[in-house]
Amino acid sequence: MNTIFQLVWLIPALPLIGFFINGLLRNQLPKAISGLIACGVLLGSFVLSVLVFLQVKAGAAQTVHLFDFINVGNLKIPFDFKIDQLSSLFLLIITGIGFLIHLYSTSYMHEETNGHFARYFSYLNLFVFSMLLLVMGANYVIMFIGWEGVGLCSYLLIGYWFKNVNYTAAAKKAFVMNRIGDLGFLLALFMMINQFGTLTYGDVFAKAGEASTTIITGITLLLFVGATGKSAQIPLYTWLPDAMAGPTPVSALIHAATMVTAGVYMIARSQALFVMAPVTTNIIAYIGLATALLAASIAIYQNDIKKVLAYSTVSQLGFMFLALGVGAYTTGVFHVMTHAFFKALLFLGAGSVIHAMSGEQDITKMGGLRKKIPITYITFLIGVLAIAGFPFTSGFFSKDEILVAAYEKSPILFWGGVIGAIMTAFYMFRLLFLTFFGSFRGTHDQEHHLHESPISMTFPLMVLAVLSLVGGLVQVPHIFGGHPYFNEFLAPVVNSVEHTGIETLEYALLGGTVVLLAAIIIMTFKKFSVDSADGEYTGFKKVLANKWYVDEVYDFIIVKPIRFLSKKILVFTENEVIDWLVNGVGRSVQWTSRQIRLVQSGQVGSYVLLMVLSILVFLGIQLLTKK
Amino acid sequence: MQIGLTHILVLSATLFFIGVYGFLTRKNLISMLMSIELMLNSANLNFIAFNKYVWPNKLEGLFFTLFIIAIAAAEAAVAMAIIIQVYRQFKSVDVDEPTIMKE
Amino acid sequence: MNALILSAIWGVVMMFSGIFTKSGAAIRGIAITGLALLLVVNVLDFQGTALVDINTRGMLVYNTFSYMFLNIVFGATLLYFFLSGSDMERVGLHLAEYFALIFFILAGISIVASFQTLLMLFLGIEIISIPLYILTGSDKRNLKSNEAALKYFLMGSFSTGLMLMGIALIYGSKGSFSLETIGAGTGVITPLLGGGMLLLLASMSFKVSAAPFHFWTPDVYDGAPTVFTSFMATIVKVAGFFAFIRLFETSFGSVQAQWQLFAAIITAATLLIGNITAVFQQSVKRMLAYSSIAQAGFMMFALVSLNGKGSEGLIYYAAAYSLATIGVFAVLIKLNDYTFEGFNGLGKSHPLLAATVTICLLSLAGIPATAGFMAKFYMLSAAVENGKVIWLVILGVLCAAISVYYYFRVIQAIYFKDGEPQVAEVSTTFKVVMVLIAVLVVYFGIFPQRLTDFLYMVY
Repeated sequence: MNTIFQLVWLIPALPLIGFFINGLLRNQLPKAISGLIACGVLLGSFVLSVLVFLQVKAGAAQTVHLFDFINVGNLKIPFDFKIDQLSSLFLLIITGIGFLIHLYSTSYMHEETNGHFARYFSYLNLFVFSMLLLVMGANYVIMFIGWEGVGLCSYLLIGYWFKNVNYTAAAKKAFVMNRIGDLGFLLALFMMINQFGTLTYGDVFAKAGEASTTIITGITLLLFVGATGKSAQIPLYTWLPDAMAGPTPVSALIHAATMVTAGVYMIARSQALFVMAPVTTNIIAYIGLATALLAASIAIYQNDIKKVLAYSTVSQLGFMFLALGVGAYTTGVFHVMTHAFFKALLFLGAGSVIHAMSGEQDITKMGGLRKKIPITYITFLIGVLAIAGFPFTSGFFSKDEILVAAYEKSPILFWGGVIGAIMTAFYMFRLLFLTFFGSFRGTHDQEHHLHESPISMTFPLMVLAVLSLVGGLVQVPHIFGGHPYFNEFLAPVVNSVEHTGIETLEYALLGGTVVLLAAIIIMTFKKFSVDSADGEYTGFKKVLANKWYVDEVYDFIIVKPIRFLSKKILVFTENEVIDWLVNGVGRSVQWTSRQIRLVQSGQVGSYVLLMVLSILVFLGIQLLTKK
Repeated sequence: MQIGLTHILVLSATLFFIGVYGFLTRKNLISMLMSIELMLNSANLNFIAFNKYVWPNKLEGLFFTLFIIAIAAAEAAVAMAIIIQVYRQFKSVDVDEPTIMKE
Repeated sequence: MNALILSAIWGVVMMFSGIFTKSGAAIRGIAITGLALLLVVNVLDFQGTALVDINTRGMLVYNTFSYMFLNIVFGATLLYFFLSGSDMERVGLHLAEYFALIFFILAGISIVASFQTLLMLFLGIEIISIPLYILTGSDKRNLKSNEAALKYFLMGSFSTGLMLMGIALIYGSKGSFSLETIGAGTGVITPLLGGGMLLLLASMSFKVSAAPFHFWTPDVYDGAPTVFTSFMATIVKVAGFFAFIRLFETSFGSVQAQWQLFAAIITAATLLIGNITAVFQQSVKRMLAYSSIAQAGFMMFALVSLNGKGSEGLIYYAAAYSLATIGVFAVLIKLNDYTFEGFNGLGKSHPLLAATVTICLLSLAGIPATAGFMAKFYMLSAAVENGKVIWLVILGVLCAAISVYYYFRVIQAIYFKDGEPQVAEVSTTFKVVMVLIAVLVVYFGIFPQRLTDFLYMVY
């Protein structure tokens, strides 16, 4: 056994130690020390992860046994870590991006008091620990423990500013929604125990062949229900936009880069099961597409900078599920990676903007920030280009691969994906121009306070910007003279799809992307790079008043219907359907509870009467069922 | 007429249900206590009857009744203490009086 | 056998200690010494060192499970004495008598942990119940306490009547009280035997507060002095379950098909009523009463599935549930205000208590990495293994999700709300024991194996 694998337990243990130190001594430690500890442990984990990754790359994947966890009868669940290509890749993403976000947080949260500052970092450390457990576990039980852990930590972090009642409500919503998904996961676990008698990945996959398709479909569907909760897919997506109540770095870490990708990880990990259940994968593909479109259309209508990004996360997650659904598992994972780069970048950039704007989040009150905070602007621009799929940025490669894979499956999925991509570009450039172009539309106080963020905040931005630019080069399509290193690396764990005879499509996508992006950039620039201090709607109306023929056509054909629809969809799905469902469940529980409480009358006579009646009912049943 | 097992069982069942009926309908705590005693005694009667008619060469049923009588005495002692205490606090031995707690 | 004898003797010792000393600390010291001795003699007993050699003619049979269970009971009671022993003084003047009654209850528990005949079951249950009636009404000037004692007594003796009638019917059909004789050759259920079995099922369900025989629980737990509620809701309740499973496993295990449906219905009703009603309680004490019903629903899984995993799971559940509930109650006793608002701001004013009570609540809610999660996991997988009641497993998982709501309401009050909680003085011992409980809860959650292994191999 390689020495590095003996130390692999340190990767999750370090953040756990950080959690304990910061959590227990939070009132004693000065900010500098607690920040140093939190970042230090993550840096340590990252270094170890890199070493592990290099070993795995050299072909040394293995399972590390720590201790026996459960040993009841014939059910054995060891506490093992599975270190292979898939998990080591996730380790890199989690610890790497996690470290940058910790570093960024040391400045962003600097105005908190010592105790709260340490509390924040202890939660962050605990979160990273849970996430690491989730990806490193060698069986579903450990994955589930991490799975619940990240849910719990996100509850703690979203409700971090607990003075605000709305924030605590958002925290609770996130937790409850996640629990609904977890139910599916847990039921899938029990089904697997029942069916296979084990929960270790390898054994489950080996025995999966013996089970009937119906069983496998049931298990995979339940697993997918779990994934919809954590990865914010229809119908359990509404918690994620609300979860933006937490501090911005938290949104970057949890709700963009790591936690929400847990569902993708789970499905990629369980690929052996999912390939046997075509029904499930079809459902996944269509739910993914529907989520991508719905969330993107809602994002167009939002004015809160974090809300736009939140809906864009939901939408991008939809793309990942689309990829998983059409069988392109590596592509889904690839998009997880590139998305982690640019979405962390965008969120941290947004944090930097909010920081500069003294807490303002409404983009209609921004504008012209390009000159005031240049580093944030440039890095944010790179992030926008990446997410919009500008050629040769990381997002371009991953998104085009998804579209190519969807094309081979069904034209509906492909064209749906294309529309989703167009909308993505639209709302991202709208966000960019409203924020950084035109003239400033905020108050004088805010303008006076505008300043670039300190180096500890801009450094992570720069690193992430570079990654967003070049991160896609690990998997350049054949036609650009590239080589699928990424697929090859993951090949031992996750199968990839080979694309052949699609050169024309690739060229068409490249050309189409360039043309469409150019059109969108020009259009959004003209519309949203406005000078008016009256906010977007006046600015928007002013452009209308100028009677740009093209604009009017665009407005009429695209923008207005989309905005109308997105408004309708938002109001209808979010307020009517989903709230009705959620509230309906709550109301029926309340109603039942009231009925039960009526029975609890406090009178011994009625209690005893009910007992006697139930015994008589039991006797009746026994007599009737008697053979 | 020979008195057989059935007769005694019918008697004890009647006693038992008189006990249950009394427990459900009476509001006076002392009457309720008496109803419970009826139920216990009907069980005693059953034990004796089964011992005599069904398992005549065993003694276990007889001894069980002795235990029941002892336990019933202990229960009655505690019951009287509780009822007196309730009477002091609520000035009543009506079972519907103390219903502060519900739901 | 050692434990039974010593606990009965120590009960008498406690009664007399009240004559010689009025010092609360001295009486507590005697009680704690007695309990430690109980733990020791129980371990000795397992190794084969009996204090007195008594031939019980097979009426009491101690097996590994009995010893494991008694160790958990005594251990939990010891922690309970450390945490809440001093709070008993606030109930009334008769501290020594309260301890004496608790020791008598422990004697009853030693009987139900080992009974092999229905006679012993009846005696054990009564020895547990009668002191409990007294403890419930021990706060003599409190109307609620009196009312609770009255209700508990009336309904408790009614269920005793049912149980006796059940035993009489079984005796009529089998001619014996021995569990094994009843169990042997019970291929066919005669109406006599079937009726007796149902009456036993109902009266045992009453003792463990399973729906629809649970009505006494909220009122009694709410009305009883909180220190004694803590004891009743944990140690006494799990003892009831142990007796329940032992009775049905040995006597009616071969005809499980005849009553599994009833057990499943009772379980489902218990889960639903306990969880749903707990959601809308305003008082934490009453919420905990309903939560104890809800947890009873999970313990009922051991009865429904009736296999090795279930029995082992019950032992584990007993430990996990007792530890966490004793911890939560211990902190609740220290508070002035039993509503949810009473916990507001506890996180700031008493960080240590807040953290430990949070861990206990997380365990009760079944969050992974705590003992409560593993306990539920054992129970549900036992039912999965049984294979006939998958719908019940699904219901169990759903109810576990509901339970998160009301446990988190407390956590939310502790950490996310501002307030000035009024907390009585807590000693260092109290804090140390709370931390110990929290550590145990997490330890058994991460290394569940250790509890069962430890209990199997410690001797």
